[in-house]
Amino acid sequence: MEEQLKFYSNSPHVKGRRTTREIMLNVCIALLPACIMGCVFFGWRALMIIALSAFSACAAEIVYRLVMKQPFPRILKEFDFSSLVTGLLLAMCLGSQVPWYVPVLSAIFAIVVVKMLFGGTGKNLVNPAITGRIFAFLSFGTIMTSGWVIPNFASSSVVSGATSLTALLKDGTMPDLLSLFLGNVQGCIGETCKIALLVGGIYLVIRGIIDFKWPLIYIAVTGLMSVALNKFDFHYFLPSVLSGGLILGAIFMATDYTTTPNTTWGNVLYFVVLGVITAVLRQATGIEIVSFAILLMNLFVPLIDKFIINRPFGFKREKKVKEAK
Amino acid sequence: MIIKGKKYRYGVHVKDRKELCREKPIETMPAPEIVKISVSQHIGAPANPIVNVGDDVIKGQMIAEATGAISANVFSSVCGKVTGIEEIVNPMGLRQKYIVIKNDYRTEEYRFPNLENFEDATIIGRVREAGIVGLGGAGFPTAVKLTPKNPLDTLIVNGAECEPYLNCDYRLMLEHPDEIVKGINYLAAALNVKNGIVGIEKNKPEAIELFSERGMNVVALQKQYPMGSEKQLIYCCTGRKVPTGKMPFDVGVCVQNIKTLFASYEAVELNKPLTEIVMTVSGDGISEAKNLKVAIGTPFTDIAAYCGGEKENVVKYIAGGPMMGKNLIDLNQYVRKTDSGLLFLTNKEANLEEPSNCINCGACAKNCPMRLMPMYIELYTLAGDYEKAKKYGAMNCIECGTCAYNCPARRPLVQSIAFCKAKLKEKK
Repeated sequence: MEEQLKFYSNSPHVKGRRTTREIMLNVCIALLPACIMGCVFFGWRALMIIALSAFSACAAEIVYRLVMKQPFPRILKEFDFSSLVTGLLLAMCLGSQVPWYVPVLSAIFAIVVVKMLFGGTGKNLVNPAITGRIFAFLSFGTIMTSGWVIPNFASSSVVSGATSLTALLKDGTMPDLLSLFLGNVQGCIGETCKIALLVGGIYLVIRGIIDFKWPLIYIAVTGLMSVALNKFDFHYFLPSVLSGGLILGAIFMATDYTTTPNTTWGNVLYFVVLGVITAVLRQATGIEIVSFAILLMNLFVPLIDKFIINRPFGFKREKKVKEAK
Repeated sequence: MIIKGKKYRYGVHVKDRKELCREKPIETMPAPEIVKISVSQHIGAPANPIVNVGDDVIKGQMIAEATGAISANVFSSVCGKVTGIEEIVNPMGLRQKYIVIKNDYRTEEYRFPNLENFEDATIIGRVREAGIVGLGGAGFPTAVKLTPKNPLDTLIVNGAECEPYLNCDYRLMLEHPDEIVKGINYLAAALNVKNGIVGIEKNKPEAIELFSERGMNVVALQKQYPMGSEKQLIYCCTGRKVPTGKMPFDVGVCVQNIKTLFASYEAVELNKPLTEIVMTVSGDGISEAKNLKVAIGTPFTDIAAYCGGEKENVVKYIAGGPMMGKNLIDLNQYVRKTDSGLLFLTNKEANLEEPSNCINCGACAKNCPMRLMPMYIELYTLAGDYEKAKKYGAMNCIECGTCAYNCPARRPLVQSIAFCKAKLKEKK
């Protein structure tokens, strides 16, 4: 009888429950409430943008891999839904008034240029979704920042108004906090309904995918910094926290595994500096800046990881021995 | 007496699967027809065979002699005739000499003469004579551990048994608590220490009770892998941190495994050399999971047959525990002193997935019990920059497998780090 060769590998021989695919699917699930609320507030156009963005992101990855002559079964086997996350996140930070080519082009840019050219999942230097949004922002400037739709359950009407954040930053107009929290304001598809985002965030924390500390630090530091920049007027705290894409950015984008440091203290540094930069740049430029702040800090992650590393258990700094002359 | 230990944050909660044979008493497996006994079942120089082909040996007779300071004697585990000295590739992948003995089922047995006194030197002499090594898996000669360079003050007994599936230490603690307590006393006398601490994981309340009833200081460790790792155990029991690159005796502690203590008791009081060990045969791929007392040198095929044979869907044979054990290519292997388990894993339990890209989630670094950064060690190892990998702590790795167990991308982190360590040692 011929002896059959069994599977052979190094230890450990058992595996944990978690896989990359499971993590990514959980993030998609956590984004669902925000997607649904976006569709409720902004109507079928929002649904179309979400679908277009998610589809183009996934298609872009598969087409890129096919062009790179990878066999199709392997592509399917290795497809880990991270492109779906990118596509959904990208749609979350686009306005519902944008024409159809904006989500398609930015999703393709995000996946092909930012992710796949660097080596695929986990190899990207910066967050693809955020870079996709910035790409759209810089390429289609006026389309992106004007013509916000006021959400209306019966019909959506286009207004040429500013978002509550721009109003707050430019004239100091205090927005209605309750509608900010519920999402009944103009803004991007996924950014407005804070309650849906928080539900998604709590889901991620319960599943152990993100650590609740980091979004909290980021949001708190941004809020406090805005307060400090406005002569310690604490009325600024809640509006600056609730408006714009801060909560979406803090829960879903800044916590992206690939573009955050790997040590506890590295993370503390990353999120505190991120909060300060966000508040200062918001005040200085008067536009929504969360994505730029995250992009900027993403580039510093390798540097942070180079200088802040874990010390082994039982590590003692070697005493400097004086050299005898 | 139960004393409160320190908490250790880092590690992982592994699905332990101990229920497969937790309640099964230790069974003595009848000696097989042929045993093949390795001359190198310990860390250090291989023992030198002192029998020739055709010699008649009895159970307990020395067949290979320790060479050098760090080495251990090897004894025959059956009565019979030496039919050959073969070279076999052991689970570590090294070619080693194995002494083949054909059993003739006589019941003769060699015992050492009674000890004259129970002073430190005589006990250490007997432990050395009986060929006792660290039976937890490392196989470091116990006699060497009992003669430290500096005076010690604490003997820690490792009853954590944090490896999933394995139950042999637990069964031994339940069935022979008095003998183990005696073993602790002998080794404590040999080391001249007063303080003995038994560390047992909380998932073995019966064992904790048995030892605290007998007046031992017991630390109920949290149920977490790797609690049985030496440095983590010392920290939890005494609060002392072993500095990197140092050994437990540098902080005045000696750690001994339950099975080592039982073997020491047998050697000192019953004058028995080390010829049998207790091991767990488990996994979903074996018909009947069992805790067995087997003769050293028993073929694994015989053990599988004794446990009812393997099922069809076995994909991995493992010598030892699933987290640190060695994967066997086939069952043509023979029981060694350091074996604590033989596992038959099916494709449901075993890790068969192919690695994908690291997503930098940090799960490895977050849980590493040695506080290393495995993702960077692997990155630099794959790039061939071993010095950089050393900066992230490669040399401190205990290869417990926590990082690779947690890895969502299924990176073979332990393999990379072990490779890096080997390369760094080569350079020296």
